[in-house]
Amino acid sequence: MTVTSTAADSSIVDHRDPEVRLRAVFDAGSLRLLAPRDDSGVLWARGEIDGTAAIAYATDATRMGGAMGTEGCRHIVDAIDTAVRERVPVLGLWHSGGARLAEGVVALDAVGQVFAAMVRASGRVPQISVVLGPAAGGAAYGPALTDIVVMSGAGRIFVTGPEVVRSVTGEQVDMERLGGPEPHGRRSGVVHVTTKDDDSALVEARKLAALLGRQGRFSPADVPVGDDTDGHDMAAALPAEANRAYDVKPVVKALLDEPGVELHAKWAPNVVTTLGRFAGRTIGVIANNPLRLGGCLDASSAEKAARFVRMCDSLGVPLVVLVDVPGYLPGLGQEWDGVVRRGAKLLHAFAEAVVPRVTLVTRKAYGGAYIAMNSRSLGATAVFAWPSAEVAVMGASAAVNILHRKRLAAAPHDEREALRTELIEEQTRVAGGVNRALEIGVVDDVIKPSETRRRIAEALAGAPAARGAHGNIPL
Amino acid sequence: MAEEIRAEMVANVWKVVASAGDTVSEGDTLVILESMKMEIPVLAESDGTLRELAVNEGDVVQEGDLIAVIE
Repeated sequence: MTVTSTAADSSIVDHRDPEVRLRAVFDAGSLRLLAPRDDSGVLWARGEIDGTAAIAYATDATRMGGAMGTEGCRHIVDAIDTAVRERVPVLGLWHSGGARLAEGVVALDAVGQVFAAMVRASGRVPQISVVLGPAAGGAAYGPALTDIVVMSGAGRIFVTGPEVVRSVTGEQVDMERLGGPEPHGRRSGVVHVTTKDDDSALVEARKLAALLGRQGRFSPADVPVGDDTDGHDMAAALPAEANRAYDVKPVVKALLDEPGVELHAKWAPNVVTTLGRFAGRTIGVIANNPLRLGGCLDASSAEKAARFVRMCDSLGVPLVVLVDVPGYLPGLGQEWDGVVRRGAKLLHAFAEAVVPRVTLVTRKAYGGAYIAMNSRSLGATAVFAWPSAEVAVMGASAAVNILHRKRLAAAPHDEREALRTELIEEQTRVAGGVNRALEIGVVDDVIKPSETRRRIAEALAGAPAARGAHGNIPL
Repeated sequence: MAEEIRAEMVANVWKVVASAGDTVSEGDTLVILESMKMEIPVLAESDGTLRELAVNEGDVVQEGDLIAVIE
């Protein structure tokens, strides 16, 4: 319940005006207010986004800093319930200090009803929040309960403001450092997309609403085999050296028809989660990024990917999983950070997902991380691998050091390295590569990079469309 | 504003590519680390001048150790 500035803006068009903001989120001329302008602190409307019907509500920062009272909260609940009834996306534009202090506990009850409406709608219609100013207290948890949070450069999210923080903990901190785009985009994972200003925040929100609100149909015939010359060469970004790290984002871009929207780009960047169009339909892409932490899964990235998988499953968005993972990140910090508990979320998310989901192993998939990245055992629709890929419990040299520890230790000192080399060669021959995985059926087919988009499109299109019957808890 | 680039994980400094005083662009490789049997480039995250390069080849960096400062 932090009070934010209520000072009147002297300019003729107040950029905080909720009607101005709602107008900007919808296609030109499509806005229809669904309640008259009043003192409630919230305005809501219907309109179109890229030609698709949507509902949006905005807190009115020109009245008591957008504080939420009984009437305003009722408007938000109406907006969400209407969107669920009409099966359309609902967007919230946030600039609010939280519950109205003057209304007391009544306002708290009303804010609680907003939260309950959001949870009722979770997994049934896409919910997107755009934070354009301070969103504090109750107004912080509103966006946090929705599927995707976009924050502009002026956006701030915190439970308690700088003054309370100062009086309780003695920490001297301003609103930006406490809850601006940097901390929430990079450290906390609260925000999915950060933008420099309000206009670009609304552009990103519109893109996301169109991707989730009008998902389209797969058309594999539109993805010709050998189309890897026209900006779709997925293998181009992979270095020649097998142990050299690279940025996976160009690979994701080459997979998609057109650039998508990456979520949580700077938080847990060792896994990439992107929504975009592929073969004419909206999909979610999950990819290990070897450039960051060598592509290892860790507690945060597993949790990030798990939430993304569950969101896509609940909204009926098929998944493509690009695997190049050396394992889970070792260390005391990880174990104490709950890599077991938080990593389990990813296993749970994939195993319960019913949307079509196809895996491609581009380079390597080792150990427990192999299982976690939408393996056959967790119910993948199809698992493909490129010819040079390796699927194994671990790399050959690491395996030899464990499997043959006693034999290596017993060997005379001057023969040990030769024996090690020989054992590694044998291990590579017996357990390396992708042939063993193919034999036992955990990889369905080895495919060439040039036919990859077509094969993935066919596999996704051939699977029955389905949608997980669950909400999207913000894991 | 100076931007500090810190190690994300324990690693050996395999190669130092840039030197202090260099003009760098976002995405330029500054140092290549070796960890988890992978060669992992450390990239500049903004355009600027490399004010400081805090590591030498063969060093071991711990998570959070300073690698470079870009201004």
